[in-house]
Amino acid sequence: MLHLAARMARHRAAALLAVACAVLGAAAFLTAIGVLAESGLRSHVAPQRLAGADVVVTASQSLPQPGDLAVALPERAPVPASLVAELAGLPGVVAAVGDVSFPAAVIGADGEVVDAGDAASAGHGWSSTALLDGAALFGSAAPSDGEEPPDSAATSAGPAIGQVALGSGLAATAKAHVGDRVQVIAAGTPGTYEVAAVVPGGMGGVYFDDVTALRLAGGSGGQAAAPTATVDLVALRVEPGAVDEVADTVRDLVQDAGLIVSTGDARGDVESPQATAGRGLLPAIAGSMSGVTLLVVGFIVAGALAVSISAQRRDLALLRAVGATPRQVRSLAAWQATVVSVAAMIPGVALGYLLAERLRHVLASSGMLSPDLPLTFGPLPGVAAAVLLVLVVQPAARAAARRVSRLPATEAVAESRTEPRTPSRVRALTGGALIVGSLGIAVTPLLARTPEAAIGASLAGIVAAIGLALVGPLLVGGVGRWLARRLPARASASTWLAVAHTHGHSLRVGAAVSTLALVVVFTLTYAFTQTTVLAAAAGDLRAATTAQATLSAPALGGVSDEVAAAVRDLPGVEAVAPLSTTTVVAPLTMFGETTMESAPAAILTPDSAGVLDLDLRDGDLADLRGDTVAVDAGSARAHPVGSTLDLVLGDGTPVRAEVVAVHGRGLAFGSIILAGDLAAGHSAHLAQSVLVRTDGTAAASEALAGFTAEHPGVVLLDGSAGASAGAGASAEAGGADGLGAVPPELWINLVVLAVLLGYLLLGVVNTLVAGTLERRHEIAALRLAGATPRQVRSMMRREAALASGVALAAGGLLSVVPLAMLGIGFLDRPLPAGPWWLAPGVAALVVVLAFAAVELPTRRTLRTPPARMLAEAL
Amino acid sequence: MGGRRGALGFPAAAPSARVGGAAPSAPVDGSAPPAVALTNVSKVYAGGVRALDDVTLAVERGSFVAVMGPSGSGKSTLMHCAAGLDSPTRGRAAIAGIDLTRLDETARTELRRTHVGFVFQAYNLLPSLSVMDNITLPLRLAGARPDHEWLGALVERVGLTDRLTHRPGELSGGQQQRAAIARALAARPAVVFGDEPTGALDLRTGHEVLDLLRDLVDTLGQTVVMVTHDPAAAARADRVVVMADGRVVDSLEAPTPARLATTLTALEVR
Repeated sequence: MLHLAARMARHRAAALLAVACAVLGAAAFLTAIGVLAESGLRSHVAPQRLAGADVVVTASQSLPQPGDLAVALPERAPVPASLVAELAGLPGVVAAVGDVSFPAAVIGADGEVVDAGDAASAGHGWSSTALLDGAALFGSAAPSDGEEPPDSAATSAGPAIGQVALGSGLAATAKAHVGDRVQVIAAGTPGTYEVAAVVPGGMGGVYFDDVTALRLAGGSGGQAAAPTATVDLVALRVEPGAVDEVADTVRDLVQDAGLIVSTGDARGDVESPQATAGRGLLPAIAGSMSGVTLLVVGFIVAGALAVSISAQRRDLALLRAVGATPRQVRSLAAWQATVVSVAAMIPGVALGYLLAERLRHVLASSGMLSPDLPLTFGPLPGVAAAVLLVLVVQPAARAAARRVSRLPATEAVAESRTEPRTPSRVRALTGGALIVGSLGIAVTPLLARTPEAAIGASLAGIVAAIGLALVGPLLVGGVGRWLARRLPARASASTWLAVAHTHGHSLRVGAAVSTLALVVVFTLTYAFTQTTVLAAAAGDLRAATTAQATLSAPALGGVSDEVAAAVRDLPGVEAVAPLSTTTVVAPLTMFGETTMESAPAAILTPDSAGVLDLDLRDGDLADLRGDTVAVDAGSARAHPVGSTLDLVLGDGTPVRAEVVAVHGRGLAFGSIILAGDLAAGHSAHLAQSVLVRTDGTAAASEALAGFTAEHPGVVLLDGSAGASAGAGASAEAGGADGLGAVPPELWINLVVLAVLLGYLLLGVVNTLVAGTLERRHEIAALRLAGATPRQVRSMMRREAALASGVALAAGGLLSVVPLAMLGIGFLDRPLPAGPWWLAPGVAALVVVLAFAAVELPTRRTLRTPPARMLAEAL
Repeated sequence: MGGRRGALGFPAAAPSARVGGAAPSAPVDGSAPPAVALTNVSKVYAGGVRALDDVTLAVERGSFVAVMGPSGSGKSTLMHCAAGLDSPTRGRAAIAGIDLTRLDETARTELRRTHVGFVFQAYNLLPSLSVMDNITLPLRLAGARPDHEWLGALVERVGLTDRLTHRPGELSGGQQQRAAIARALAARPAVVFGDEPTGALDLRTGHEVLDLLRDLVDTLGQTVVMVTHDPAAAARADRVVVMADGRVVDSLEAPTPARLATTLTALEVR
């Protein structure tokens, strides 16, 4: 059977091309999504600063959940400093280092901040240099990198108080040499230090003496020996070959304290909890992409199979006539489709790995993913995609061949010329049920004003479009009959034939109409969902921001309290409040099941009332002190003012906070706002931005401008633009660089939209071209009955116009309900927000596509004389 | 559509519609030109296959001519060239005195739909149209007003009066072929070409179709040219033209099936 299937496949190359294209694209998408998901679980950022450490001890940076993936925690959880001495004494340990990171930046001779990568964690203690890869710094003369031989003569003692050592990369950019005096802003505090050494290796980093470092890191209040002192992590260098042994010993020792011991690649995971938490996003992104992708892939693959089987109906019918059983015919169809699919999967899977890498680029450049995180390219996603597709193709091909396989053999040959007269009732009912069901999905944006609920609009659209694919033949037949009754007697033969075809071949036309309609529905609902949520969030933010200006200092790692206080004293400044975001893990109850979900959360203080209008429904921001939170109106139903909320902060600390206010700006500020007091010590050292409200006079603006000119690294932004950098859903948008105002989620969703749309268009063109070529025989018969080539072309154009007209109307109608719900839920009007040209643009695209995909094969068909065409078609 | 009325109230077979811009070259002596005329026609296909080799043939109005020959003898090519479906490599083909070889594809199509009717082995009805719509299709394409009296008589003659709203798929093979014959006659063409019109039918149904064709010739004076390899079918014709290797090798007036079978067998074993 397989052999026969392959032989037949060779002779029906054109019909099977549609299947091959559909499967190729599907394999690419599924593989790419699989790679992202697998990378989220398995891939590691290579250790950089910790490359020289053999064993690393950290607090746990994830929150285990029964029955679900652990929630990654992006904020650094500390480790007791006393552990350093304890571990240093273990056998096999050469050195134990209590490592800390804190914001530090060097001001160059020109008064500007020297760009040195991630300023928020550039500062360390001198002892951390022991962790650098191949760091033989403890000798008197460190090996040089060639570029700076005189400066490399670092002393083993490291910098004294008032001195710093600079990473060689940073030193080169700052043009600083040993013995120079440089201005350093560490943890927001400016000071002048003497460069005591340059640390080779080409990296950045500002290394202070260990006592100063601990003080700046804020872990000990200046007393390294205090029992409450903490460090970020403890790193060990061990004797050669003793890594596993030491790691086991340490693990036994710290297990009860809940600490994690990492070696090898896992060291990279603990070096930056933020990058690791970003990695945790990958499975979530893959999950959210997979729903829409699977629906579109299923639609296109099933459509391509139907077209291919229909083109081969005569072959299959002849097989029946020569004695094949219905089961054998279905099996032949299924195996033939599988042969073609497997052949197409090979390039498809390869393409998928490339596509995953492109997606990683987009994610990294939009700041959602650490650029240092590589993807894991294992065989699993490719194999899984292939298996999944075979499992889809086999039953889909059998279903497509079901009808022709069950006809009596003689009838099968005769019927191979025409198509079944009556569209199936079950099919139409199923389609109707899907469309009705899609309305249920469409109401989700009304129930919750969150980006997750907004996805309901596009899901509802696609489910409705699939319903339309099932109802399509009935609808098209009805429209055709209605038109036929109303066609004026003087209508041209071409028009009359086009209408007759529409109701006489309602299955074929219905397939074309529903794929065209899917293009409309998919584009409109998916794109408008993104733009509407964005507009609603931006609207919230605009409405909330009463500040005229925002200060931020990405190059310094954040804005210090001192800077905020100084701004408060400027003439014309009326209110100043810091604004930061962190991550909070809160219980989320959905469908009766409670899971812990991590979400971005803003950090505000009582002062925030002066710069933000949070549309307070209850309570008072002035109470936002101590262990308190404000929640949005949606969450307030379960957690009203006065109730308590059990949360886990971004570093894993469980807290019980009292709800003191209810606000109405959930889209812009998240569902939970933490009090500054609550988040202190559990989030970044410095505020991401400071909102400033002035009296609006020019003098105030000048004072602010003058202030930023005097303070290197501090930048002034417009009111809401700056606020969006601090608030909103993006946790890492501290610096408004990269993709400008487009938030990363929107960006990745638009990329997914573009890629899927391209695939969808390919599927549409396939269906239409195959459908037109299938009509060679009919066109020849028409020409023999006296139709001129011009009349045939004119008929085909009218058919294309009819099909695209019905598709636009149906697609528009199916999009209206979800989009209206979305508009009402997010913007309080039954209209989504977005570019006005999207709807006419997609309509034009559908029309152009329908005409081109019909016109070109028709012209090709017309080049063959009709009598010869008939002889070929027989 | 005026026209002389023939027997049984049928209008005569003379073409009355003049579409296509090519006026028939009316002979000076006033006698009508033959319905079909091939003059020294050769057809060479790409690759050098000579399907027709200097064929000259005239089919008089009101006559029933069958073209016979073994497979590959060129009988289908002869029909295609005579009907304006294909253009000869050399020579002249004319229908009702109009030279086909000087027309482009569109003009040939317009000539065909008013002057030529086709009946094929595979019926070639359009499955999405009703029987009536199929029959009137050539008129519709020509933009001609249907002559309901004529159509009614025609439909009754082919025995499909109660099947007009059905789809072709709902008819038997014989009924479909009769619908195809009615369609071929709808525009009252100068000539009807049949390409193995009984080839897909069983013996009895094939017989009925031949009876119908014969009757059209006898009662309406319709010109019919039929390509077949079945001696029994060919024997119903007034004249049988026998082809071999692209040439007309014999022409028999009112032959018996037996005689035709002998002739054909002789050609095939040659």
